[in-house]
Amino acid sequence: MQLDFKARELTVKLVYYGPALSGKTTNLQAIHRLLSPEGRGRLMTLETRDDRTLFFDLLPLSFATDSGLTVRIKLFTVPGQVIHNSTRKLVLQGADGVAFIADSQVQEVRANQASFKDLRRNLKENGLDPSKLPLVIQYNKRDLPNIRSEEDIMRMASKGKEPTYLATATHGTGVAETFLGLVELTWDHLEREHHLKERFGLDHTEVTKDLQSRFEAAGEGGGA
Amino acid sequence: MSDPNTADLHHGEIANLEDLIDRESLREVCRSFFDLFGLSIRVFSARGALLANVHEERSVCRYVNSLPDGKRACASTVGEAQVVVPTEGTVVHPCFTGAVYHVVPIVYDDRQLGRIVLGPFVPSELEDVPEPLLKVDPAVEHERAAAALRDMPRVREETAERIADHLRGVLDLILFSGHRAHLTSAMHLATVRENYRELAEKNARLQEAYDKLKELDRLKSNFLATVSHELRTPLTSIIGYSEMLQAGIAGDMSEEQNSFVETIRTKGELLLSLITSLLDLNKLERGQLSVEHEQVDPRAVLAEVKETYLPEAEKKKLVFEVECDDQVPFIQADPVRLRQILINLAGNAIKFTPDGGTVKLVAISTEMTLNEDDEDDDGFGAALMMAPEPAVEFQVHDTGMGIAEAEITKIFDAFYQVDGSSTREFGGAGLGLAIARNLVDAHHGAMRVESELEKGTTFFVTIPETPPEPE
Repeated sequence: MQLDFKARELTVKLVYYGPALSGKTTNLQAIHRLLSPEGRGRLMTLETRDDRTLFFDLLPLSFATDSGLTVRIKLFTVPGQVIHNSTRKLVLQGADGVAFIADSQVQEVRANQASFKDLRRNLKENGLDPSKLPLVIQYNKRDLPNIRSEEDIMRMASKGKEPTYLATATHGTGVAETFLGLVELTWDHLEREHHLKERFGLDHTEVTKDLQSRFEAAGEGGGA
Repeated sequence: MSDPNTADLHHGEIANLEDLIDRESLREVCRSFFDLFGLSIRVFSARGALLANVHEERSVCRYVNSLPDGKRACASTVGEAQVVVPTEGTVVHPCFTGAVYHVVPIVYDDRQLGRIVLGPFVPSELEDVPEPLLKVDPAVEHERAAAALRDMPRVREETAERIADHLRGVLDLILFSGHRAHLTSAMHLATVRENYRELAEKNARLQEAYDKLKELDRLKSNFLATVSHELRTPLTSIIGYSEMLQAGIAGDMSEEQNSFVETIRTKGELLLSLITSLLDLNKLERGQLSVEHEQVDPRAVLAEVKETYLPEAEKKKLVFEVECDDQVPFIQADPVRLRQILINLAGNAIKFTPDGGTVKLVAISTEMTLNEDDEDDDGFGAALMMAPEPAVEFQVHDTGMGIAEAEITKIFDAFYQVDGSSTREFGGAGLGLAIARNLVDAHHGAMRVESELEKGTTFFVTIPETPPEPE
């Protein structure tokens, strides 16, 4: 989190992490598509080749709040391919929350786990405590055959503390829920750490509600 | 964290308009707008730097500037227009001539990075020469002022807005591309730096491990040398006393006793030669073994080797031949070590050739390239470096069991036996070839082997006629 007192600006960094081809960029594209345009920046994709992210994607969002504070959310994706570890580590620096995008296909279980371990290691190397960082998990690609069942996923999720979502990012389903879940978790955490309400009058539910209404507004406008 | 590049990367932020745009391209864009709409354009960064300035002195400006008071007033208006900061959208800044400037904010990613100053132009609604223009200087003439105003570009408010919007849109695209390029290069740099840091760390760890291994290797060599030496001392006694017993110094022995003592003595000698080989190999591997160079006659060396193995060859009823033509020159080599190479090879040949087979030692005159093994040269100066030099090739042929292709690269390893089983037919510690190989290397020679299973094996040892000059 970055706080600019002079400009009365709060910048929060959220990172979409996960194995190669799990749909991180597709999540950002869907958010970009589903959100109403005001305060929504351009989706910037840095250096891609054959549809694979080489550096990262960046989607900036910003909105004014009743507290007078402008909230800016920077959504990043990391490149999933193993060789880009240095870039992943760099993108992860200063992250306030992470959405882990997993591939639901049964054969991807190892890739998901390897990437999650990689996340944990990179968080530690960046001096972030994996157990304290706001983290949500998304099981993406629900429309594919041979996927882990919802029942299985929920049973596993009930043993952990991370909110877990199901999504088909290519159709835009579950994307907003994952994102709003991450925003909510992150704001709870920021509130506890920085007392934004007390110091700036920023109600931590306001951000989530505002974003939610912007998803809905866009949905009413054109349909997603 | 204090590195501004890294800080930018954290949130993908951009700080300055100056960092994002190429001034020349911006000027070209402004120029094309000017050509299209006839409006002067100035672009300022948030810090006030003038990044593009495409303008032409307008008729009314020219007229006003020709009068002293007018010139002063004009300078002050232009100065004001240039420092207007449009925080809440476009600001229309009026001039006393009736013309206006439009000051349009450049907003990117929610940040005001600079402003565009459009104008001066005359709003289409203006009809009369305004009062302030007439009063700006006592010398202003109504007619001339009106004529100058007529020559000014006239633009409707909405049109001006549209032009500004369009320019802003084009700028936004330039900024987006610039931002992307900026982030890409910053990320690229940071990634390279991070990779370098990781590699440097890994290298340090590897170096540490390597140093440790080197130290271990040194300890092993020392240990081997000490142990070998310590083993030799008692062995000498064992062999010596066995010989004394056999010589009858301690009284006569029965035939059976004599045969037992003979076994003790021969096995003792075998052990001694094995320990000596071990010591040699150890010295060779540590590069401690010095090779003397003197004139050696290959014929004499072959004759000595033949003499050494003749009894054994006769016992196995082998055809044992030596062949060396007169063309074969003397070579600069270490006679003892050269003999050892051939003794090791011939010993193997005799050992692995079944009864009634053939073992043949040959020396021929040949040529060899001394620099063939230079790994990092990659053919560099091959026309010079690959020039062959005179050499002697020794060949040791046998009609033994042969060596399978897969084994050929391993046979020169110390302690390697093609048949590694504990019940193998042929004894030995597997040091002979390793020693021979090291000795050949010490002579800057080359060694290779050709073999056919069940047919036999030939070892080729090439030694240069004179060793290369040390570099």
